[in-house]
Amino acid sequence: MHSDLILVIVVATALAFDFTNGFHDTANVVATSISTRAMAPRLAVGYAALLNFAGAFISLAVAATVASDVVASGAITPTVVFAGLVGAIAWNLVTWYFGLPSSSSHALIGGVVGAAFAAAGADAVLAAGVVGKVLVPALVAPTVAFVVGAIAIWICYRVLGRERPGIVNRGFRIGQVVSGGMLALAHGTNDAQKTMGVITLALVTNGNLAEGSDPPTWVIVSAATAIALGTYIGGWRIIRTMGTRIIKMDTAQGFSAQGAGAAVILASSHYGFPLSTTHVISGGVMGAGAGRRVSAVRWGVAGNIVLAWLLTLPAAAAIGAAAYGFTRIFGTGAAGPVILAAAGLCLVTLAFVRRLRAGAPVPA
Amino acid sequence: MIATIVDTQALGRSVVAAIASGVGVTLIFALTLWSASRWIESQREGRGALAAAFAGLAIAGLAAFAAAVALGIVVMTHKS
Repeated sequence: MHSDLILVIVVATALAFDFTNGFHDTANVVATSISTRAMAPRLAVGYAALLNFAGAFISLAVAATVASDVVASGAITPTVVFAGLVGAIAWNLVTWYFGLPSSSSHALIGGVVGAAFAAAGADAVLAAGVVGKVLVPALVAPTVAFVVGAIAIWICYRVLGRERPGIVNRGFRIGQVVSGGMLALAHGTNDAQKTMGVITLALVTNGNLAEGSDPPTWVIVSAATAIALGTYIGGWRIIRTMGTRIIKMDTAQGFSAQGAGAAVILASSHYGFPLSTTHVISGGVMGAGAGRRVSAVRWGVAGNIVLAWLLTLPAAAAIGAAAYGFTRIFGTGAAGPVILAAAGLCLVTLAFVRRLRAGAPVPA
Repeated sequence: MIATIVDTQALGRSVVAAIASGVGVTLIFALTLWSASRWIESQREGRGALAAAFAGLAIAGLAAFAAAVALGIVVMTHKS
């Protein structure tokens, strides 16, 4: 009975994380398209939501591998997974509040690492996995995207600098619709999988599924729906940061950033080295700005974004560990997760209402 | 030390493929737009043969861009 209740809470929390993931990461996919007027804001987020939904069904390859290389499998219990999700959701909401694009995947990994550390000690954390699967890709992703974005915009200006702007701008806008669609699809194939993985893991540890099972259909559909819904609601604050605050973007820069991002994500996925969508697109946007003129990039804003990246893992880990510690105050039963989930829901509702009353920018 | 923790071979291949595909796709798309722009200009100036050549180049570029998009979708569906 207790374990079933914890399972229900874990599933609901995982879907809430998936929603924040779509909500938070929409910016990566649509911000440049919106800022260059390649698409109207609502149309852009609707398009991204649809492709995120479709992407969730395309590939199930990574669904069962969430955090498996960074935390010892013996340390993972439903309560650890729950606390890890709380850490990830909390960090996603903090960075959304400040309009900072940070990696939801790193937040999830950080949350689970922190909760596992609190539950089973330092031995539960696989340091080599954290370095190899999280820290090194976090350095490589934005750097490669920055270089590709800078070269891409140099090529665009070199080839098209003397052409009439009318057809060139229209062409780049069409290109952005295609590259944005590729990004949204890639995001769905990567990130909805993580929620499916978390729910499947919880079902296996609770004995509802045999080890090594594929995610059941209801898990796939609910994860796809949650990420698509979050994408459609849209994190307008982060969209504004990505689309207008890092650089003032023209259509060529928008296409270069998005095209570079899509190419880097797909190439790295093909060679088994998946990179963070957030890091790649942010790097691509900065590269597309710096490729035109280094001073075109607002380095103060870029610095804040990099700071948020650096803080993501330790901050989500600290919140995950605190969440696990809180649940243990009420023993090993379902009481701790129930109280924490209820308190979290109240806090999130309050924060949303306050933010909406403060007039969060929601374009028509 | 890092080499034992990180799959440097996969990382190296990823970086090279990312740069090659990112730069390649942008170059193809930029040349497609350039050809389309030249095509319209040539037509306006009444140079039919040149316009036809640029139109062919633009269509070839568009086909190459579409092929790159299709390849991207195939990569997504065949993730390991």
